[in-house]
Amino acid sequence: MKSLLSIALFSMTLIASVPAQTPAPPPTQPLPVVKPATDGKVWGALVFATNEETSTHSTEKPPANLADLPKRLGKVFAYKHYEILGQHLQDVFREYESWVVPSKDLFLKVDSKGPAEGGGVNLHLQFWRDQQVLVKTDAVLRSGSPLFIGGPKWRDGQLIFVLVLQ
Amino acid sequence: MKTPPEDHDLIRWLDGEMNAAERERFTSRLDADPALKAEADLMQRLSTDLRANLPAEMPVPFGDFFNSQIQVRIAQEELSENAGSTKQASWLDWFRLPGFATISTVVAAVIVAGVMILQQPPTAASVVLSTYAPSQGVQVSSYHSTDAHATVLMLTGLEDVPADRKIVGYHIERSETDQAVAATTLYGERGEVVLVVAKDARNQPRLLAAANSRG
Repeated sequence: MKSLLSIALFSMTLIASVPAQTPAPPPTQPLPVVKPATDGKVWGALVFATNEETSTHSTEKPPANLADLPKRLGKVFAYKHYEILGQHLQDVFREYESWVVPSKDLFLKVDSKGPAEGGGVNLHLQFWRDQQVLVKTDAVLRSGSPLFIGGPKWRDGQLIFVLVLQ
Repeated sequence: MKTPPEDHDLIRWLDGEMNAAERERFTSRLDADPALKAEADLMQRLSTDLRANLPAEMPVPFGDFFNSQIQVRIAQEELSENAGSTKQASWLDWFRLPGFATISTVVAAVIVAGVMILQQPPTAASVVLSTYAPSQGVQVSSYHSTDAHATVLMLTGLEDVPADRKIVGYHIERSETDQAVAATTLYGERGEVVLVVAKDARNQPRLLAAANSRG
């Protein structure tokens, strides 16, 4: 009698341990990440050129390969100090537009037109201030040779947009 | 050797030496002679290019040799023609030398090409190919600064940014673009969403700052 009871309990345990008849869901697969084709990477910055020291208290620093940026800006613009207000590292997408937005106030739309002869990349650039495009330009951007865009005056200085092919 | 009369006329026409009647006759000849018209157009273009690309004064390469050769040719011309003209010689007489039109065309082309090559930035430099400012008051100029090893696009005539406006800068490290909704999300240093860039019905950019961003 005791053995029959044990068998019955064992059988019930087995039945209870059998998984439900509904099939288990297949393991989820992450969607493939398609990285868009690019024609390079650009670094853009909005710089405030001024004669007053630490006028905006910005702590932004240029990348290591552009440590001499203030010195180079000083060769073109007649100011004593150059403060980076904002910066943006951006892929240049081959098939659709890219945005370089170190600030909401002044930013750049970049359309790639493909690699340039002799190195670099052909770009169509639009320099925007809020909802107004200030200038449209076609340019060949080459690494090591920044594009300085002298923008509007602000306070006692001037806003400058810097674009560099990394 | 005589210079063809049409060369004289062409040079005089180019230099504005003709009176009204001569100019009218020569214009009629240009209309009737396509070859002469083509040569006149070429000479005018070269003249314009030279004025645009060359300084007002520049030293003549090997000037002494050049001058001596010119003087020899002038003397030969004078002897052969036994000309007793008392008309004062001027540098314009060089244009009347035989074959000068052809030689000057080649020389001018070489000089213009040389000047254009010298004005080109180094091949490793960025280059501005064209510019367009939609606002009438905005002027755009570009040049290459060899000192800064940078290309400069200078905008003048822009309205100043008000002094009391706070310029907010971001530090963007990467972006993701969603083609389905035509929006680009910009991420900061810590992977946080900083901005979303979209475009409105007029194709104008709309920048939406995240609540926790500096903007």
